[in-house]
Amino acid sequence: MRSRVALLAVWLLALAALAAFAWHTLRIGTDLRSFMPPPQTPDQKLLMEQIGEGPGSRLLLLSIDGAPEARLAELSRGLAAALRADARFEQAINGAFDPSALDEKLLPYRWLLSPTLDTHALDAEYLADQLGQRVEDLASPAATLLKPLLPRDPTLEVLALAQRWSPPKAPIVRDGVWFSSDGAALLLAQTRGAGFDPAVQGAAIDALQAAFRALPDVGAAKLTISGPGWFTVLINERTRGEADRIGLVSTLGFVLLLVLAYRSLPALLLAGLPVLSGGLAGIAALALLSGSAHGITLAFGFTLLGVAQEYPIRVLSHRRAGEDALASVRALWPLLATAIVSAAIAYLAFLASGVTGLQQLAVFTIAGLLAAGFSTRYLLPRVLPSRFHDVATHAWLAGAVRALDALPRPRWLPWLLAALGLVVLWRAPGPTWENDLAALTPVPQDLLLRDAKLRGELGAPDVRYLLVLHAADADGVLALSESIEPRLDALVQAHVLDAAELPSRYLPSLATQRARQAKLPDRAALEQALAAAGAELPFRAGLFAPFVDDVEAARTLEPLTPATFASSPLGARLAAMLVAREDGWLGLATLSGVHDAAALDAFAASTHGAVRLLDLKAASESLVVAYRERILRALGLALGLLALTVVVALRSIRRAWHVLAPMTLATVLVVVVERASGLSLSLFHLVAVTLAAGLGLHYALFFERPVADPAEARRTLHATLVCVASALLVFGLQALSSLPVLRAIGLTVALGVGFHFCLSILMARARR
Amino acid sequence: MPTLLAAWVATTSSFAAPADKSPDAAALVAALRRDVPARTPYTEVRFSGLLERPLILRGELEYLGPGRLGKRVDTPYREQTRVQDGEASVQRGDRPPRTFSLGQAPELEGFLRGFAALLGGDAATLAADFTLSASGDAHAWQLVLKPRDARLARRVGEIRVDGSGDTPLCFVTREGDGDVAVLLVDRLASAKLPARPSQPQLEAICRSGAAP
Repeated sequence: MRSRVALLAVWLLALAALAAFAWHTLRIGTDLRSFMPPPQTPDQKLLMEQIGEGPGSRLLLLSIDGAPEARLAELSRGLAAALRADARFEQAINGAFDPSALDEKLLPYRWLLSPTLDTHALDAEYLADQLGQRVEDLASPAATLLKPLLPRDPTLEVLALAQRWSPPKAPIVRDGVWFSSDGAALLLAQTRGAGFDPAVQGAAIDALQAAFRALPDVGAAKLTISGPGWFTVLINERTRGEADRIGLVSTLGFVLLLVLAYRSLPALLLAGLPVLSGGLAGIAALALLSGSAHGITLAFGFTLLGVAQEYPIRVLSHRRAGEDALASVRALWPLLATAIVSAAIAYLAFLASGVTGLQQLAVFTIAGLLAAGFSTRYLLPRVLPSRFHDVATHAWLAGAVRALDALPRPRWLPWLLAALGLVVLWRAPGPTWENDLAALTPVPQDLLLRDAKLRGELGAPDVRYLLVLHAADADGVLALSESIEPRLDALVQAHVLDAAELPSRYLPSLATQRARQAKLPDRAALEQALAAAGAELPFRAGLFAPFVDDVEAARTLEPLTPATFASSPLGARLAAMLVAREDGWLGLATLSGVHDAAALDAFAASTHGAVRLLDLKAASESLVVAYRERILRALGLALGLLALTVVVALRSIRRAWHVLAPMTLATVLVVVVERASGLSLSLFHLVAVTLAAGLGLHYALFFERPVADPAEARRTLHATLVCVASALLVFGLQALSSLPVLRAIGLTVALGVGFHFCLSILMARARR
Repeated sequence: MPTLLAAWVATTSSFAAPADKSPDAAALVAALRRDVPARTPYTEVRFSGLLERPLILRGELEYLGPGRLGKRVDTPYREQTRVQDGEASVQRGDRPPRTFSLGQAPELEGFLRGFAALLGGDAATLAADFTLSASGDAHAWQLVLKPRDARLARRVGEIRVDGSGDTPLCFVTREGDGDVAVLLVDRLASAKLPARPSQPQLEAICRSGAAP
């Protein structure tokens, strides 16, 4: 008794130490990219860079409503200012004219950046027209806004640039900031972190909401957020919340089931230790070997580790009256070891997949299975209480065994099922594979509609399409961008798309800047032109001296490059649109409201490769296809390894056939049923099928075992029934979930457990 | 812009039937109510820190009913501004008209609301947007409007209206940056002005016009 308690204490302490080690060492990544296979095509490479990092996917769309307009405008200004001061945000725009967009130092550059000089010269005629308009402006509603600008910028070049730099389809401006047609203040905020990284986006959105709440007099005003980052966080929370709820209910059910089955609470609690040990060992192995793991790896890993819950159940069910736990485990061990080792060897195949996420999954699962198995063999029997209830004494169990023995087992039935299954697979409706991972974690329709509405009002770019410009260097990209500007304008006119945001909108090429520079008059000529232009006008003498100084300064400026421009807020925006590559530079133009992708594609094709239309959805789906092919190859290899291990362990091909045939047929039937009901298979289905196969292997192995003792046959049936019932309970509940991703896993495993159980009885169970 | 609005007010009130009035602000406003359409010539003189000499505009103002106003500039250039259904359109010379929503500048909307109240003789509504004070007597009164809204107050310090009987004659708008616009309407629109009028000269004209 004392040694039992001591051993239990040591075990628990070891687990605590393992947990502490894992907690301090393992970083859990949430960036989807660490779970993706290495990109192969240029589009996939670009996608991996752009997924979450592209300008469109880092954009949050904000609206504020529920207060009078003036109050909303104040809140919009306050929120924009707070976000501009927050390092998590790259920019925040709300339509207000932002004088800092072009800082003091860059102000003389306006002549090189604005297209005015392309069509006009700074001569007496042009200046006379401009100054005449300024006089009129002074008597107009705009006077108070324009007066501070006039001495330095009488041609209002700054306003021309501000207009050029505002979103192509800007919302209406009320009280100096953007408003939607139904009276909500609108803002755009760009996060620094990737759009599909729930941790980074969660932090940014928390900061955003805190900044909003901290504004003075928020009152009843309400902040609404939308955009890819928001959906990422939302889906993450919903999935976790629902998984937790289902987990709680199924854990209670599971506990109840085991209490009913074994009538001992201590036994039940102790039976949880092997799986806990397995999970912790898996995490510790990951921490030791790679230092970090993706959240999905852990989720998949814990799913696959569900197999290990069978080990202690077998120990509890197979205990014989008058025998201590250790002795019954010893008798059970050869078979249990076969199951554990063959599964572990099968998962070795994932190590060869070449995908970091899958390799980590293999490390986790193998370490977990081995730890759970060995703790079941060497630790669990030594801590189990000596008092127990031999399940073989249940009368109903004897009846059940007799009924099973009496079942007819036609040899042709499995072949018929297999043949029918293949026909159904061949004729099944819908596509076999689901390549759109987002379809498994769908965003609620009302939120999508709200997002589309906000996106339309704000003229924010589509997340799906990008125009990719390719040239030898950054300046080449800008020149290319300038050259396609008129053609894109024509496409906008033709309603192929609503707007395009090209890199050259922010910075013209060096050649264009130099051409504009060459048109600037020298000081004497400009002063003469100004004098002639203003002769009849009432402006104070010398009022425009700052203007003359600026033009003079602009004549000798070194043209702006993306590097020198990068220090300003707009330069940062430009930098996100230019990407260096080993074979040159890429320019990324975001598109809004794409109505006719084919026409855009045709336009891109006409540039002979200089411009390409990148469909991020198609590229990400091709990535999923590549990923799935690797998983399937790994699974094929795993199946081969498994078959080999089982043959070696049982030392008989015939016996191995009895184990492997029901397992294989059951797996096929799961796929058949899901395909016949119109489901398309995703990565999650594949993982679930694998778990079910692991469980099925156990059923078949134990049923196939020849036993002379009828009591032992009853114990085998009891153990298997408890395993099947608990798996059906846990995964059946998951199958009822409203989230397709949980439903996919739950339905597949529950179906699989049912098929594996029935077919094991039909095909594997040793006849007496 | 304030000048423009003041002008519209002037337009509408300039045809009011004369009657003796005490210089009580609310009573003054109540008496300004009048029928549409109403037109008056005007002369506007703008003093600005940017200008060497004041800018003098002449033209016609019109009030066409609630929310519908117009201002025509005849000299020194041609311009037609119309306000209708919350939108303003400005047409200069032969250029195509430019249209913008009044909502872009809510203080302008506040102004409109205030002046609509002034035109309608609705002292209570006017008092919601401005603090009012009156001085003088029925033959030569002065009404001073100070915006209550902080944003408007940053743009416009105060508006002073000089009038006689039921007729406003002169609007002086002091803008936030120190610029001043003086609008002479009704019989003062044709007042003789020096080539370069000074602010004291114009104020004298306003007072003399209100005290015939």
